[in-house]
Amino acid sequence: MTTAALQEDTPGKRAPLVLGHRDFNAVTETVAGIVEKKTTPSWLVLLGLAVSVLLILLGSLGKLVAEGLGIWGLNNTVFWAWDITGFVFWIGIGHAGTLISAILFLFRQKWRTSINRAAEAMTIFAVMSAAIYPVFHVGRVWFAYWLFPIPNQMSMWPNFKSPLLWDVFAISTYATVSILFWYVGLVPDLATLRDRATTKVRSIVLGIFSLGWRGSHRNWLNYEKTYLILAGLSTPLVLSVHTIVSFDFAVSIMPGWHTTIFPPYFVAGAIFSGFAMVVSLMVLARKAYGLEGLITIKHLENMNKIILLTGTMVGYAYAIEYFIAWYGGNEYERFAFINRAFGPYKWAYWTMWSCNVFSPQLFWFKRIRTSIPAMFVISIFVNIGMWFERFVIIVTSLHRDYIPSSWTYFRPSLFDISTFLGSFGLFFTLFLLFLRFLPAVAISEVKGVMPQADPHAGHDDHGHDAHDDHHEEASAKADESEDEGDEGEEASDDAEKDEEESRG
Amino acid sequence: MSQAAAMTAGRATGEKSKADDARKLPKDVGDTLTKAGMGLAVLGVVAAGAGYAMDAKRFAASYLIGFLFVATIALGGLFFVLVQHLARAGWSVAARRQMEWLAGLLPAVAVLSIPIFLWAHDLYHHWMGPQAATDPILQKKAGYLNPSFFYGRSAFYVVVWVALGLYFTRTSRAQDESGDAKLTEKMQAASAPAMILFALTTTFAAFDWVMSLDPHWYSTIFGVYVFAGCATSSLSVLALITVQLQQRGYFRKISTVEHRHDIGKLLFGFIVFFAYIGFSQFLLIWYADIPEETVWYHHRWDDAGWAKVSLAIFFGHFVIPFLLLLSRHAKRHAVGLSVGAVIMLVMHYVDLYWLVMPTFDHHFHFSVVDICGLLGPLGIAAFLVARQAAQGPLYPLRDPRLAETVKVDNP
Repeated sequence: MTTAALQEDTPGKRAPLVLGHRDFNAVTETVAGIVEKKTTPSWLVLLGLAVSVLLILLGSLGKLVAEGLGIWGLNNTVFWAWDITGFVFWIGIGHAGTLISAILFLFRQKWRTSINRAAEAMTIFAVMSAAIYPVFHVGRVWFAYWLFPIPNQMSMWPNFKSPLLWDVFAISTYATVSILFWYVGLVPDLATLRDRATTKVRSIVLGIFSLGWRGSHRNWLNYEKTYLILAGLSTPLVLSVHTIVSFDFAVSIMPGWHTTIFPPYFVAGAIFSGFAMVVSLMVLARKAYGLEGLITIKHLENMNKIILLTGTMVGYAYAIEYFIAWYGGNEYERFAFINRAFGPYKWAYWTMWSCNVFSPQLFWFKRIRTSIPAMFVISIFVNIGMWFERFVIIVTSLHRDYIPSSWTYFRPSLFDISTFLGSFGLFFTLFLLFLRFLPAVAISEVKGVMPQADPHAGHDDHGHDAHDDHHEEASAKADESEDEGDEGEEASDDAEKDEEESRG
Repeated sequence: MSQAAAMTAGRATGEKSKADDARKLPKDVGDTLTKAGMGLAVLGVVAAGAGYAMDAKRFAASYLIGFLFVATIALGGLFFVLVQHLARAGWSVAARRQMEWLAGLLPAVAVLSIPIFLWAHDLYHHWMGPQAATDPILQKKAGYLNPSFFYGRSAFYVVVWVALGLYFTRTSRAQDESGDAKLTEKMQAASAPAMILFALTTTFAAFDWVMSLDPHWYSTIFGVYVFAGCATSSLSVLALITVQLQQRGYFRKISTVEHRHDIGKLLFGFIVFFAYIGFSQFLLIWYADIPEETVWYHHRWDDAGWAKVSLAIFFGHFVIPFLLLLSRHAKRHAVGLSVGAVIMLVMHYVDLYWLVMPTFDHHFHFSVVDICGLLGPLGIAAFLVARQAAQGPLYPLRDPRLAETVKVDNP
């Protein structure tokens, strides 16, 4: 309760973003400690679990390659179901990371700093989980590269007019830029770990990946510029990916799929599901690794507010879609929506509404959006709801098409379920490895939002002294202020390195 | 000491007395401004009368466009105020008062909407006229598109807007007097439900007042499209007012080049947002090629004149301002930002014209009556903004986040 009181954001006074860390070194110790400590048994148990589930995925995919797509529950009427649902589900989750790191960066939302690293990692792993579906859905997976327009002697090209091909471009670009962005942000922190390394191998490996980072002003200048440019490039990419995913459906003339609000509605839904996943993961990770002072209740509350906002936007889209289906007067469109709400899949439709629109409304209450158990449960509901949203859109529109004689009811096969379940194995395996081997919180970025990073902290605004020039040039983060006990994240000179080593 | 530091020190000591912001416009300037606004209002009303006398039917459509121009700007102002409270923003305190002036137009928007309902049978004759009774598609939606429900809904929208506009502008002004930080908390708390009301009323007003001009046609994104226009137009007005207050020396420390830059960034963002929404609607309709949907674009493309207007929107509402405001230098430059803002305001009018007029005029021709329809509402709006600028403080004098807005920096 005391932390909540400390973080009350009264007008005119911003709540501190970092709690319980006296100085820069404390932040380094907390985050680097996770990576440097011995492996805990509980982490090994979790990794074992995740790898077991990953094996289910590998088994399911092996069976798929050996026998063909027939092992999925698809049929002539419902020719797309859990595969594309799983794909859109994971791609959607992959939106929060870059949103947090790029868009919130452009909006100067400093609270992003302690969650962006893990959220970006989550993005990359979610995109990888999503990529499984199109790659294996081509059937002969060894020809998956045919998705790319590669010149060939048969003059066979993919269909450039198909949004599914645009997906290939959009998602591969997004994955590339997300990885770059993530890696650029990691460089200063890898250098910190390098400087603290106690073994030769560790020092060499981290030395290679930290690209010779010395924490000089020139390094920081280039870093800041690169970061800003990547943020600028990532912002349209975040929006374009789910826009093109929405085109997969909306360019068709299928009732329930073809509606003009799909692009912004899908983007809002993606951000919604991504933030829910970040909340689910962060609630657990901060507890497990003692990150409560960095990822505070305030951070979680902010994310819950975004979940409330985007959940309400998704609700707006559901309602407008429904209204226009009626208003348009097209009987097929009207049928598609009545069938969604009152047909055989009504349970899925109302699950979607309950999880996505109704459950986040509880976040109107401050007590609920600052309660860890409540937000964890709601974030899981949102994840479930967003899976159902895609399922509802895809399956309810397909299962009763224009010819009543071909109407059917889709049931997933065992392998539909095991493939989707297994994709969580891939995701969690990668995420656990990330938590163990890379700094889960952006050390240098967090230091930049601490009061010590402000060159004017403790001074009055105009009381410049001889340090002025230094302050003008140094970025807030690179600033080696005269405050004692801050070795700064760059830890560049040998003296500091020695000091840290002797401590460790 | 570096040059920058020397300049900072100089500004801090030597020029302190000159560096203060004007809390209010000087009386003579305020009077001149009010008089100029009054002149525009009189001119506008006279022009509107003349336009009505020339061609009453055409004038109704022209007036609808002019009314929408003012209403969208006012709604954009309200949106800005709401979103800044919602996000507990600090940077925007210096810009909020100008947007409150725009939101302060909403009571006038309510009055200006009355002629729309008086002429509704001309404007919405496709579904209000007798032929609607025999139209099977319109029969299906008669439960929504019928005159009495239409008037009732419209009254609801304007009542909501007036209430929100008055609440947020008055509370902010009350804080000028009392300096009570609790008022900020009150506005923050109110901004969330207010935003929901804003979203729903704006969407359905767009459906009712614009989309239903062509009552067979529908598009789920249409409300968002009109909202995007609200944002670009109101931010353009904000940019122009801010630049003028800064250039004339009324804003020195509270609102600076950094705020200009931030307003420019936000405007740039919404220019892209507008293009994104407009393109999404176009691409999905073009690709699916369903006649009942493409008809709307055919009305705006088959005629050579309308095709030119369509292209003008693509280039003028997106490509040119996008390229201009992409530059950091242009956003920070008083003239650069003002040019961008003027382009966006002109194109906002063209966009509304393109939304409304093809229903009435299958062959594009711009008439002097159209100018009259714009001048009426615009003159009245200009007068009301000028009067608010002349009479009240130029920024939220005692906002608890004033210190934050002064410190805004775009390194």
